[in-house]
Amino acid sequence: MLGLFNTLNLGARALQAEQIGVEVTGQNLANANNPAYSRQTVVLQTSTPTPTSIGMEGTGVEAASIRQVTDQLLNSQIQSEASVGGYWNSQQSALQNAQTQLDEFFNLDSASSTSSDGSTTTSQSLSDQLNSLFNAFQSVATSPTDLTARQSLVNAAQSLASSFNQASQNLSALNNQLNTSVSTGVASANQLLSDIASLNGQIAKATASGATANDLMDSREQDLENLSQLVNIQTTTNSDNTISVSIGGQQLVSGSNLSDTLATYDPGNGQLLVQTATSATPLALTGGSIQGTIDARDGTLTTLRNNLDTMASSLITQVNGIYSNGYDLNGNTGANFFTGTNAGDIAVNSNLVNDPSQVQAAGTANATGDNSVALQLAQLGNQSIAALNNETFSGAYALDVQNFGDALSNANDQVSNYSSVNTMLLNQRDSESGVSLEEETSNLITYQMAYESSSKIITTVDQMLQTLIDMKST
Amino acid sequence: MRIAGTSYTDSMVNQLDFLSAQQYQLQNQVSTGQSITAPSDNPAGMAEALNLQADNSALTQYAQNISTLQTRATIAGNALTSLQTISEQASEIATSADSTATPAELQADAGEVTQLIQQAAQLMNTQDGSQYVFGGTASGSAPFIVTTDANGNVTAVTYSGNTDVAESEISQGVTTTVDAPGENNTGTGPRGVISDSRYGADFFNHLISLQNDLQAGNTSAIASTDAPNLTNDDNNIIYQVASNGATQTRLSAAASFASTQQSGLQTSLSNVAGVDLTQTLTQLSQTNNAYQAALETSSQFLQMQQYVLSLLP
Repeated sequence: MLGLFNTLNLGARALQAEQIGVEVTGQNLANANNPAYSRQTVVLQTSTPTPTSIGMEGTGVEAASIRQVTDQLLNSQIQSEASVGGYWNSQQSALQNAQTQLDEFFNLDSASSTSSDGSTTTSQSLSDQLNSLFNAFQSVATSPTDLTARQSLVNAAQSLASSFNQASQNLSALNNQLNTSVSTGVASANQLLSDIASLNGQIAKATASGATANDLMDSREQDLENLSQLVNIQTTTNSDNTISVSIGGQQLVSGSNLSDTLATYDPGNGQLLVQTATSATPLALTGGSIQGTIDARDGTLTTLRNNLDTMASSLITQVNGIYSNGYDLNGNTGANFFTGTNAGDIAVNSNLVNDPSQVQAAGTANATGDNSVALQLAQLGNQSIAALNNETFSGAYALDVQNFGDALSNANDQVSNYSSVNTMLLNQRDSESGVSLEEETSNLITYQMAYESSSKIITTVDQMLQTLIDMKST
Repeated sequence: MRIAGTSYTDSMVNQLDFLSAQQYQLQNQVSTGQSITAPSDNPAGMAEALNLQADNSALTQYAQNISTLQTRATIAGNALTSLQTISEQASEIATSADSTATPAELQADAGEVTQLIQQAAQLMNTQDGSQYVFGGTASGSAPFIVTTDANGNVTAVTYSGNTDVAESEISQGVTTTVDAPGENNTGTGPRGVISDSRYGADFFNHLISLQNDLQAGNTSAIASTDAPNLTNDDNNIIYQVASNGATQTRLSAAASFASTQQSGLQTSLSNVAGVDLTQTLTQLSQTNNAYQAALETSSQFLQMQQYVLSLLP
């Protein structure tokens, strides 16, 4: 027989157990909107029975442990998917930025206009400026001595050169921003690696002392997911509940020890890449926003910049090759129409800006009505250019725009796909580890009722004790 | 399946975001009338639209070229028609200057021929803007210079132009010229208006000869030499008038063809980059309805959550 006092203890233990239940439920409810939180449950077990004359008698209930409901396999999948998402989100962001800087937005009204002078000077897009240049050559070819047509040609050429310069400058600035983004990403990754190592240390101590470290594990899991968004990681769970982290085959976190960090380096072309800081081992990253940024910068963006430079260079070479043989209205020859070598520095010969009579439109000296050079230049717009894969200038540019658009469209599709998969995985994890208000509310009511019931044990035993005491006093 | 509170709210937010993005895209299409604005909207379509845009721009320029050439051709044609009148007048004078004409009449005719030479030279120095129409490509200065003696008789009309003409593009790869050189006695190249050795034409010299023969009263030379020469000149000028007319007809046809091509291009552009307004408005309406329904469903869910909490004592 337990006796009244042991029964009192039984009641007290029950109250404690139910109180812990309420506390854990309160913890769950408090973190209902915390996406990094894994719900916890109280593991109740019967307390050690005591032998009595009539056999083993139960001594009540006790809270054995507070268990975190989590699925490590799902967590690993989510980390992996976070790398995919980080990679494609950074690609999408970089390429959307590049699309804005390229400023090649289609306007159906200006494209189908039949303005009398054949130009679409209201638009600043590179494609429109290219069309305007060759149209302006046509106007000069048709009226070679007309100073207005010559001035319009110089203006159109200046607008085109300016568009090239602006696109080159904007894309170069974007390249620099992406380099900065790589550096920022590396710094963030290093901070997370440090945090993970620190949390590992705290978790190991708690585990060694027999305590649970559920909340610390939630924080570490959040850090691992944030790190996965930056760079693809490989993790190993150790016996002391610490997690080792490797990146690109290089172990950076081992237990509570931060063995190495990430650093950027310049391979010689100004385009930052990633290596380990201490051993200076270049890393071949396979996912995450850092690699996504690098691939966007060195892939699509570099291709776009190179293509613009090639187009500008070809335009300069082809136009000057014809133009320099021409004669201006004063009989002079030999000058170039364009100066510069690429998209960044293409410009119109400054002598033409204020004196369009110096435009060398004639093919013969002392024949101001001769237009053969201007006509050749006008027809250049329809010629296949070897340096542009035998496309015309406008055709090559349209292809460049298409290829760029394909890259961004693909990034958009991949982000959309990732979003669907990620949502599915998160829902799956939430169904396991997330807090359900209905469930917790029900638990709260259950624990409260149990607490009230248990308190009745105490009040009943108390009355019984009072009865005993009253028996002595009477 | 167990549903956590955050699952539902996250899913709800994702759905609303998705529907909002759809609404934005459809509203943008309706307001612009375009299905393609950025390269990423439809990369292949964008490339096609840019190529069509380039073709349309070129066609507009060809139309402008044709218009400029038509103006020049009209100016030249008017001058040639007037020149033909002068040629006919000169031929009439040559015909009427026979043995029955009196010396006074012959002198008067000589004076008229002198005036005809001056008028013809003025016509041959016709300008289109700053360009002289009948100077070949040496069109920067007046191609015909008249020299007279002390009595005002024309002694020479010299040509300072050349025999080259400028071609202009009226459609891709197709060029034409509306110019004709004032003189071409090289034996090759475009036909000279006033003088061309291949056709026996030398209008100014023949007119000067007629003037001199009229002044000298040499009616036999007028009949045997001047009149036949003037006939060759007249034939040459008639050819030039007809050629100019044919060029103007060709330019009109080219303008009409360019206009037809542009209409086709604009249709193609609309097909590639335009939007079906009816279909898009319908989609927009459906999306708006779905968005409203999602909002109402979310509101009901939140009310249910509040009800659950109200069950607590």
